[in-house]
Order: sequence, then C-alpha cells, then structure tokens
Amino acid sequence: MKKLIGLVGTNSTASTNRQLLQFMQQHFSERAEIELVEIKALPVFNKPESKELPESVKALAEKIEAADGVMISTPEYNHSAPAVLINALNWLSYGIYPFVDKPVMITGASYGTLGSSRAQMHLRQILDAPELKARIMPSSEFLLSHSLQAFDDENKLVSKEKIEKLEGLFEDFLTFVDIINQLNHAHEINKKEAENFSWERV
Amino acid sequence: MSKMNIVGIVGSNAEVSYNRTLLQYIKRQFQGMFNLELVEIKDVPMFNQSDDQTDSQEIQSIHHKILQADGVIIATPEHNHTIPAALKSLLEWLSFKVHSFEEKPVMIVGASYYDQGSSRAQMHLRQILNAPGVNAIVMPGNEFLLGKVKEAFNEEGNLIDHETIVFLGSCLAKFTQFIQMVLAMEAAEQSEPEPEDLYATGKIDTTIEGVDMDADDWLEQAAEAVNAVEGNTYVKLDRGLLTVDQLNYFLSSMPMELTYADSNNQFLYYNHTLPGSEMLASRVLGQVGNPLANCHPKAAFKNVEWVIQQLRSGAVDAVRVNVPTHGPDKYVVHNYQAMHDKEGNYVGINEYILDFKPIIDWYLKQTGQTLAGGVEVDGMTGASVKEADKHVEAVSGASAKEDAVEVSVDAMSGASAKG
Repeated sequence: MKKLIGLVGTNSTASTNRQLLQFMQQHFSERAEIELVEIKALPVFNKPESKELPESVKALAEKIEAADGVMISTPEYNHSAPAVLINALNWLSYGIYPFVDKPVMITGASYGTLGSSRAQMHLRQILDAPELKARIMPSSEFLLSHSLQAFDDENKLVSKEKIEKLEGLFEDFLTFVDIINQLNHAHEINKKEAENFSWERV
Repeated sequence: MSKMNIVGIVGSNAEVSYNRTLLQYIKRQFQGMFNLELVEIKDVPMFNQSDDQTDSQEIQSIHHKILQADGVIIATPEHNHTIPAALKSLLEWLSFKVHSFEEKPVMIVGASYYDQGSSRAQMHLRQILNAPGVNAIVMPGNEFLLGKVKEAFNEEGNLIDHETIVFLGSCLAKFTQFIQMVLAMEAAEQSEPEPEDLYATGKIDTTIEGVDMDADDWLEQAAEAVNAVEGNTYVKLDRGLLTVDQLNYFLSSMPMELTYADSNNQFLYYNHTLPGSEMLASRVLGQVGNPLANCHPKAAFKNVEWVIQQLRSGAVDAVRVNVPTHGPDKYVVHNYQAMHDKEGNYVGINEYILDFKPIIDWYLKQTGQTLAGGVEVDGMTGASVKEADKHVEAVSGASAKEDAVEVSVDAMSGASAKG
C-alpha cells in the first residue's frame, strides 16, 4: 500500500482543509496509508546565512522524502496560499529538496463559492519553482466551496457528487504516483540540479 | 501639497537583503521627491487566524505607519516563484482585523539575484494586494524589476547603471502623481452631498408644528395654528401690495403649474389652475403640507434627492426634465428652480411645469420660420425620452438638442442657459 502525506496548509485551529484531509485519510484507508502533517510549529523562514535547518523542518522533510506522494490542502488568503504554507515550502527548498520529482495532488476548501481556486493556481506555480520542482498532478482540481456546510457530524462529505469526484481524483493520483515512478530517468539529474541550483549563478 | 511621506516595506526578513539596499538607495537618491521611511518585517509573527496578534506592538506600529503615509512602496524578493512567507504573513495580519492598505496607493518594486528581477513574485503581489481584504490601489504599469542585483550596486550602495537610475526616477515620479490622482479621487468621494430628508422630519423657522403633515385638512389646521390671513386682508410684498384674494387671482392665472416646496422638503403650495385630473402633473388639495416623500413613488426618491441636492448645493440654479408621456401635441417640461432669500440662502424649490409647445408654435408663426429637418416632434421627443431616463442627462442633454433642432431650441436654450 502506498504511503502518502496529507499536508495541512494552515495553522488555524479550526480548518476545513484539515477536515478534508481527515476525511480522505479515513475514506481511502483501504487504498493508501495517509499520514497528516502540520506546519504550525515551523519558525518563520528568514533565509539564515548558516543554512542551518530547524529540527522541525528536518523531520518534515524526512517524512516527505519517504512518502510516495504528497497531498496538500490549501485555504485561500488574499487570493493566494497562506503565509504559513509558503513558509513551509520556503524551508523545504532551502538546501534540502524533498519535493523534487515528488508526486503532489492539490486540494483546497474555502467558506465561499470559489473553493480556494486562486490559491491553488498560485500553489501550482510555487511548486514549479526550481528548488521545489514537484510533479504536480495535471488537469485535476478539487475545489471544496462552502466548506463550513460540506461535512456532516461524522466528518463525512455530505455531497455525493463531491465524494465521487474526490474518489476519481484519488484513484488517478495513485496511478499518477506509479507513472511518475516510471518517469525516473531524469530524477538523479533533477535532484542534482536542484542541489546545485543557486540563484547567484543563474 | 507638502512633501509626501511614503512608507517603504522591506519585503524580506533576511539579514542580507538587496531589496533593503534598493529602498535605502531610493530614500537617499530621491529625498527631494518624498520622505521615505523604511519598515522592517522581521519581528512580525507568523499569521495565525486562531491566535490573533493584531494588537501586538509590531503589527500596530506598522499598521499606523501605513495609515499615516501618503503611499507605500513594497520591495519584494522572489522565493519559490512567489513573495516570501514573511511578507505574505504581514499582509495577512494587515487585512485580518485591521485593513491598513484600504485605498492606499501602493507601488511594487523588486530585486533578485537572477535576471528575472522578482517578476513572478511581483505578479503574485499585485493579485494579493487586489484581494478584497487588502484592497490597495496598486499603481499599474511602471514595473521596476532589478535583476542581477549583486552587480547592480557599488560599494556605497548606489545603483551603478545610469539608465536604471533614470528609469527608477521616472517610475517614482509617476508614483507621486498617482498618489495625487488617488487623493483627488478620494476627495471627490468625500464631497458627496448630504442625503436629503425627503420625509421633512427636520424643522426650519417657518415649519408649523403641532399639525400632522399628512392630514388631508393640513391647510385648515395649519392656517388656524398660525392665525393666517385670507380674503381681503392686505399683504405687503417687496414690490407691491395685494390682498390674499388678489394674490390668488394672480397665481392662478399663471400659464403654468407652480409648486412651492420649502428647504425642509415640505410641499406647501400649488397654484389652482385646473381640476387635479386635468393638470399636467396632478395635484390635490389634500397633498398640501405633505413631506416630499409622500408626493413621489419610492422608486423616484433617488432622482428627487439628486435634484434637491443640486439646487441646495448651488451646483445649478435649475434642473429641467421633459416628461414625454403627454403625446406629440405637448412638450411638457418640469422646471425645478432654486429659491433663495436676500442673503442667498437656499429656501426651497419653485417647480413650474410648463408646456413649451404653444410657445414654440407661436414663435414660429410670428417669425414665419419652420423647424429645420421637418421632423420636429420625432426629433424632439426622441431626444427627450433619453432625458427622462436619467436625471443626469436632464441637465447635460440640453446642449445636445441645440445641434439637433436649431430653431425650437432657441426658445428653450435661453431658459436652459441658466441650468
């Protein structure tokens, strides 16, 4: 069974994005082992000259490194991903490169109608940066709008259509993970490029 | 305007930042243009909506600096194709419980080690500043992207390339113009006229208290309350002496329908020309004394208010609206004429409703002229329908007609010239 990481894209105590990942963890427990990770404890990234990484960052990087794929669920703050998620990705691309060639699926939930659509678009662009270079599942979008009304008391998605859509995307993601594992010819080179990458030498 | 005060946000919390160098350079080099105060973000905690720290000293200090500034320049690096987490965190705090950037002019600049010059981060920053909670007014165009920044400054921290300096100066000069433009826009918003009290709940010197304005016999009750004179009693006017009866004969024979509304928006008088149903604009005795709100359908309140605001503020002396519902044989115009006391204070509206058609016909007959184009009725009502649609056009539309219908307009434009 594949091991996946569900990265909660917020530090908020109450979060429908966390709820969504918890639902997926339970709903797909027969299909994959999903571990949820939080990013609240990471310090504010400040590009330390020493390149010394906090323990919390190292631990998170190891989990991602070991996983077959990562699912990130993001809220939308001011048309973009939350600072705390950008912060985690800043750390996870600073001298370490756990995301290079890592299959990633993006989901998102929002209280309003748009379901974090703009944040997801930004997140795709961010994950495409040279030091992250994740393999983001293309042509897939899971936007959970009106998320406060989306779950029942047992934390199950209420909408049948939403569940079907999520099931379809999740199966696709498992297939996507397999495909990406076959697209491994350039992986070592990609990794090296990311490691050797330096904006100062571009 | 005195020298502008601008806040420059260093969009990086790193020890070494060329975006800081860039802002420091702008502060020195362009000190003749504006005062620039640099703001650092390194002590700003990570935004967390479950742990509100809006009241912390760090956030309050930046919030107040931005509030007091004429404009803000944000210098952003690019991390992972977007702005740094620390800058995003600041923007989240400043759009959560407080809204520091609301309608604040903002300029974006950015420096990067590589040749992109933070282009993607700047694009994201624009989108972020556009979000409803932030609502900054970001200057369009004038992108300042400083690529290969390690080679861009000399040891004193001054930009080396002459063309870059000139371009930066022109962007900054445009930003000061942009700020003035935004200020002018906001000033225009602030000079919005006061809302009109169409229900006449206020009170002026002549308001008769203790009588229900809505009462059908308001006239009788109010006359009694103030011991009003009538009949053969003489009234001394500023240019003559008439009895009340004579005043009535005089006003009733006016070839137009007159209505008096005072500055408290109370309808006090109309001249009795014809029975209500035969009037150009029907009036009945029971309406006298009503607040203006009772004399108009709710849907018309906005336009009524606009007309009164124009007259009360003195923006115009008169507003004219053609009402085309009387058919092609009439050209009925509602004229709202401001009335003033000797000191020039607004005291109310003289609304006179007049059919211009007989006047125009008489004029044409007397002078032997005809209307150019020979489509007098269509030409005129066509133009007027538009007017009735929108109160604004009622005023400005007058000049358009002058070109379209030459002769008939002469008679009217004399009247409109005042408006």
